[in-house]
Amino acid sequence: MLSTRLLTKRYGSLTAVEDLDLEVRAGELFGFLGPNGAGKTTTIKMLVGLLRPTSGNAKVAGIDIAAEPEKAKALIGYVPDAATLYDKLSAREFLEFSGDLYHVERKLRDRRIAALLKLFDLQERGDDFLSGYSRGMRQKVSLAAALLHDPQVLFLDEPTVGLDPQSARQMKDILQDFCREGKTVFFSTHILEIAERMCTRLAIINHGRLVAMGSLQDLRHMVGQDGQSLEQIFLELTGSREDDVSAVLRGLES
Amino acid sequence: MASKARPGAGALDGLALGLLLWRVQLQMFINQTIRSRNAGRIAGTIAGAVVILLAWSWEGFVTWLGVEASHRMQVHVDSVHLLSLAFLAYTGVLVFSSLVFSLNTLLLNPDLELLLAAPRSVESVLASRMVVQVLRLFLLSLLFTAPALVLLGVVNQTPLIPLAFAVLFLLYPVFVVVIISLMSLLLVRIIPVGRGREVLTLFGIALAIGINLANFLLNPALRDPGFARHPGVAPSLPDVPAASSAWLPSGWAGRSAAAILSGDWVTAGQWLLLLLAASAAIFAAGSVLNGRLYMAGWIQAVPPRRRHAAARVRRSKGALPLLSPVMAAVVIKDWRMRTRDLAQLVRFIMPVVFLFIIFGLRFPRELGAVRSLGGGPPAAMIGLIPAWILLFSLSISLGLSAVSLEGKSIWVYVASPNSTMRFLQAKCWSTALPTASLVALAALAAEIIIRPGWLWAVTAVVLAVAEAIAVTTLMVGIGAVFARFDWTDARRMMHPVGVFIGMGLFSIISVASALLLVISMALAAVTRFPLFTTWLAAMTIAVGGAIAVAALGILFGNQHLRGLEVG
Repeated sequence: MLSTRLLTKRYGSLTAVEDLDLEVRAGELFGFLGPNGAGKTTTIKMLVGLLRPTSGNAKVAGIDIAAEPEKAKALIGYVPDAATLYDKLSAREFLEFSGDLYHVERKLRDRRIAALLKLFDLQERGDDFLSGYSRGMRQKVSLAAALLHDPQVLFLDEPTVGLDPQSARQMKDILQDFCREGKTVFFSTHILEIAERMCTRLAIINHGRLVAMGSLQDLRHMVGQDGQSLEQIFLELTGSREDDVSAVLRGLES
Repeated sequence: MASKARPGAGALDGLALGLLLWRVQLQMFINQTIRSRNAGRIAGTIAGAVVILLAWSWEGFVTWLGVEASHRMQVHVDSVHLLSLAFLAYTGVLVFSSLVFSLNTLLLNPDLELLLAAPRSVESVLASRMVVQVLRLFLLSLLFTAPALVLLGVVNQTPLIPLAFAVLFLLYPVFVVVIISLMSLLLVRIIPVGRGREVLTLFGIALAIGINLANFLLNPALRDPGFARHPGVAPSLPDVPAASSAWLPSGWAGRSAAAILSGDWVTAGQWLLLLLAASAAIFAAGSVLNGRLYMAGWIQAVPPRRRHAAARVRRSKGALPLLSPVMAAVVIKDWRMRTRDLAQLVRFIMPVVFLFIIFGLRFPRELGAVRSLGGGPPAAMIGLIPAWILLFSLSISLGLSAVSLEGKSIWVYVASPNSTMRFLQAKCWSTALPTASLVALAALAAEIIIRPGWLWAVTAVVLAVAEAIAVTTLMVGIGAVFARFDWTDARRMMHPVGVFIGMGLFSIISVASALLLVISMALAAVTRFPLFTTWLAAMTIAVGGAIAVAALGILFGNQHLRGLEVG
């Protein structure tokens, strides 16, 4: 459903993502992990067509996102990390706008909007301007907009940031239902606990390079210690060592 | 969180914090200009410095002329009163600037929370804002007066003159800044969250309309027919006798300034000391009061507005005839954004208001002169002047900001399965529709009043509408080339270079169109071709040329947007 081949993004002398090879199958809930500045958001932005790769390619359902962006984007839903929405539109108006941009037929669009507002508990506030929404509510509107055109692949960048535990759980259920329909979710997160419980497969990126990819079991084999938590595996693979942190903290105290 | 420190501690800490904030602002300014490593910004900084140097040279020259003239011609003026009056007028500038700054600081600047989270008292944080504002006003005063003061120091062989005036400029704004800061704290308690920009915009509109209306109604040069100055009306400054009162800061500053210029340093020092003591006292008292007011209630007390039920019912179904759903969606979304944001709405309303002030109030007096031209193309062309001014204003403000209007939400469109050309087409519709409609209305109204003959009136209106569509399209293209997606503030959406190019091209198109129409009349007179034929030919060439330029603009704009990356 989703594949990248030697995907690279450079900003001048800085290499944000280098030679990334990914393969995500239909129906998978794929977690994309990495420390801050590892290249997660850059990768997702290349996969949804917001950034052009310096080299390499990315395909969604066999369609090259750089060569046929409009065709590929019709299959994609995207939720950015801090979704900037139009403040002076209401949630309903924003969803209508979004539906029109994705060529959703009017009657179907209005039916889906009503259902999505209900699903995200936004019916009451659906006609209020987005400027009055909290970060979590904006995140919900953003996810509703991404689901509106019934995409085949859903990309989410830090989707649980700003959500209360109830909403985070609701989002998790929605994403799992989405995958059960044979569709694909590709999401980045810092919350390893969520990734551990939700994802069918994972990839870990560090300094723009892929360091590991596979199921949780595969990753455990990779580090050679069965029974390890994803957090331990992550710290092992990205080189963030607890004793280093302790040393620094001791240094601050003195 | 209330401060229990000794009185005056907040003011002193505020002074230190203010200087720290000032240093940070200076650092940011340097980083954004000289150290930006951006050729455009560095060039802009150098150009700005050159403009300032030129203005300073001019000011120095004019001051020198004034000094020379005063040596040759003895004029007896009450220098204390005149200078007090000048300081009183300056107080007006200080009030406006301080109000905008204070409201901006309290309602829009995000760093207030950062400062309040620091281990500093509320008093000192608010006092630091006042310090920054005083320093800004001080530098602004010096920027405008430095060459004149230096020259006066040289001519009078008293190098202390600029220095003494600098002290005066540093002390004088303090009492205004403190009072306005207190007023702003009271004011923001009744402004709902998220409405700060609207309130500031409303304030600006009221002031701009007030100044223009007052100028129109009071200025003797504008009151007389034909813009001619009435021989009996001598230009005069309005006098305010209280300006030089010894009980007012303007009187203290005026006395001090007059003493500095006459070399009476003892008198100057006395009045400066009085100003210093009063400023220090009001600053200390103001800091404490500011803190108390802040603690008593803050803007968060007023909840954000919920929409009325009626507004929800009025929702459009999101369809426009002739337009595809995608284009209709963008047009309707733009319309909603423009009309719901006061700062954007002003872009529609202000040109119309000013047009009314400039032409609406004057038109009846000038109508006789225009009608004396009789029917025909010249009268029809003159009738297009208000529409042309409206077109200039709307095409620049709406067209150039059309693409940037998306702001950081541009990702919504870029992530959707639509081409950039379709996006630009939608933007052309969303700006050309209102612009052409308003221009057509203005042209139609003027032609109906002037009555140049129905045929000429119709062709003039058609010309105005066609040019309006072409010019607005061109501006959308230029706006796409110079798009700024980092700004949400309507005033800052347009790139200065884009505005410069847009204005230049508008002027070229206007002059070329007018020339073509004049040539068509001359050609008809010389060749005895029917005037209507040559007029229509000229119109066709003018509109065709404008459309060709607009098409080029859109092509460039599209090329630029295709390379856009939303990082």
